[in-house]
Amino acid sequence: MGNQRTAIAGEPVVRISTLAPRQKFPGALARNAPAYLFLLPWFIGFFGLTLGPALVSLFLSFTDYNLLQPPHLVGLDNYARIATGDDKFISSMKVTLFYVICSVPLKLVFALAVALLLNRGIKGLPVYRAIFYLPSLLGSSVAIAVLWRQLFDSDGVVNTILWQFGIEGPSWISNPNYSLYTLIVLAIWQFGSPMIIFLAGLRQIPIDMYEAASLDGASKTRIFFKITLPLLTPVIFFNAVVQTIDAFKAFTPAYVISSGTGGPIDSTLFYTLYLYQEGFGYFRMGYAAALAWILVIIIAVFTAFSFLSARYWVHYDE
Amino acid sequence: MSDATFATAADAIEPPTERSRLLSIAIHTALIAASIVMLYPLIWMLAGSVKDQNEIFGTASLVPSHFDFSSYIRGWEGTQVSFGKFFWNSLVIAVLSVIGNVMSCSLAAFAFARLKFWGRNFWFALMLGTLMLPYHVTLIPQYILFLELGWVKTFLPLVVPKFLAVDAFFIFLMVQFFRGIPRELDEAAMMDGCSAWRIYWKVMLPLSLPVLATAAIFSFLWTWDDFFGPLIYLSDINTYTVQLGLRSFVDSTGSSDWSGLFAMSSLSLVPVFLIFLFFQRLLIEGIATAGLKR
Repeated sequence: MGNQRTAIAGEPVVRISTLAPRQKFPGALARNAPAYLFLLPWFIGFFGLTLGPALVSLFLSFTDYNLLQPPHLVGLDNYARIATGDDKFISSMKVTLFYVICSVPLKLVFALAVALLLNRGIKGLPVYRAIFYLPSLLGSSVAIAVLWRQLFDSDGVVNTILWQFGIEGPSWISNPNYSLYTLIVLAIWQFGSPMIIFLAGLRQIPIDMYEAASLDGASKTRIFFKITLPLLTPVIFFNAVVQTIDAFKAFTPAYVISSGTGGPIDSTLFYTLYLYQEGFGYFRMGYAAALAWILVIIIAVFTAFSFLSARYWVHYDE
Repeated sequence: MSDATFATAADAIEPPTERSRLLSIAIHTALIAASIVMLYPLIWMLAGSVKDQNEIFGTASLVPSHFDFSSYIRGWEGTQVSFGKFFWNSLVIAVLSVIGNVMSCSLAAFAFARLKFWGRNFWFALMLGTLMLPYHVTLIPQYILFLELGWVKTFLPLVVPKFLAVDAFFIFLMVQFFRGIPRELDEAAMMDGCSAWRIYWKVMLPLSLPVLATAAIFSFLWTWDDFFGPLIYLSDINTYTVQLGLRSFVDSTGSSDWSGLFAMSSLSLVPVFLIFLFFQRLLIEGIATAGLKR
């Protein structure tokens, strides 16, 4: 054990290995064994439930597999069909991209705007913060999806309120032109969790920067664009990446609102819902594995682009 | 995170004036209006659970003309299986998941944060990499694995992975916290001849209760709300969780029993709401740390 702590970077090195001189090989074993024992559950999970399955699903994506017969190799057929002849793939991709592109920026703008308002030292901050945070905590449950379906029903609350203003609202859920918007509104309603992160980020901006700027006579707009926003870019970046990945993975609301169909006319067919239908509705496991790998690639490309772009707009302090 | 100890941007910029007082009133008005919009759906659902069947739709009112709690009894009985069974199933899965996550993730986090071993940086990078990996890519082989093991239609596929530290987010959260604990404490223990296990158990864990509680709370919430996992692995209605029970309630009663559905929907949110009430600070600090300390 004594050798373990000898070379941790940046720490004062205290050698007590003289107390327990060991031969090289058992020494190495004794040094490493405890750590690997601590990591044993993680290793089993990593190889057995993450890395192994990921590789198997890569293999399955080149096969035709229905759980009953053993998988047989079909080469690139699955990917070829996805690329050329799968209308549902196209429509699910469109629906998902539209959902991501609309819901993420709007959610972040709301989160930032409310965080800025709350950060003005107003009274009752904990109460407001709690109220705005609550929906994002409840939002992913089936109960909320069920509730949403009723709110936007043809004779639901939304239309009742619109009717009082003399507007005849459409049947939001069953009209393919509007159904996806109800899911976008549901996502924006849950802006609480990025808002909390923005609030914490705003509090980390050193107060003397504001004092110096206002002594220099800078206007509030200028202070916002020259101090607040640049110093907040790491947090904006984090929220944008996390929220985008989450939006790509959204499943429950679309499933519940469309009763698992992705309808009407595939208007709420999220990519994950399509993957679920292929894999667990039709048991086309090979095809679903290919769909999953395409999702991984899309998310990876998006993440890589975000990190590449980050060096141009994200302000990191030295 | 204490609200009182932080000065804010506004304090530094503006001295209190008539104009700023008006502005403050305007801000409060906007925030109160926003609060109403945010809470309206939830209160409407709660009100709907005690409203008369035909009073739910066609009115935006939040106040029922009379309170009828029979919907809770009707809903609780469910269609084939009582909601009591669904709640019990959800509770079992959630509690086991909490235990599994806290144990396995703290073990791994301790090794990453405190022990020096061959390949540490390599494994740590791989662990962080799994944070980004969408679960869809492991979904199908995992399903096949659990099918081969005969675990499908039991709780095992939902619980066992939690004991194997598959949720890297919690490892990450705990590593961050462990690194903040002064090293002198475990060095002193090591001088006294304590084993790594004793340092983990007697020094680190007692000092890490906040992060362990945060991990436990998020584990509970995410497992409680999980719909996808139970949807895939549980097909016998006797094993349904609350989320699946609600879905089947919608499917089987259709549009006939709205107040019963709203009653059970509201009940299904009660555990989440209680956790929110009692552990809000831990939740908020948990998210804020995850967002800031990368």
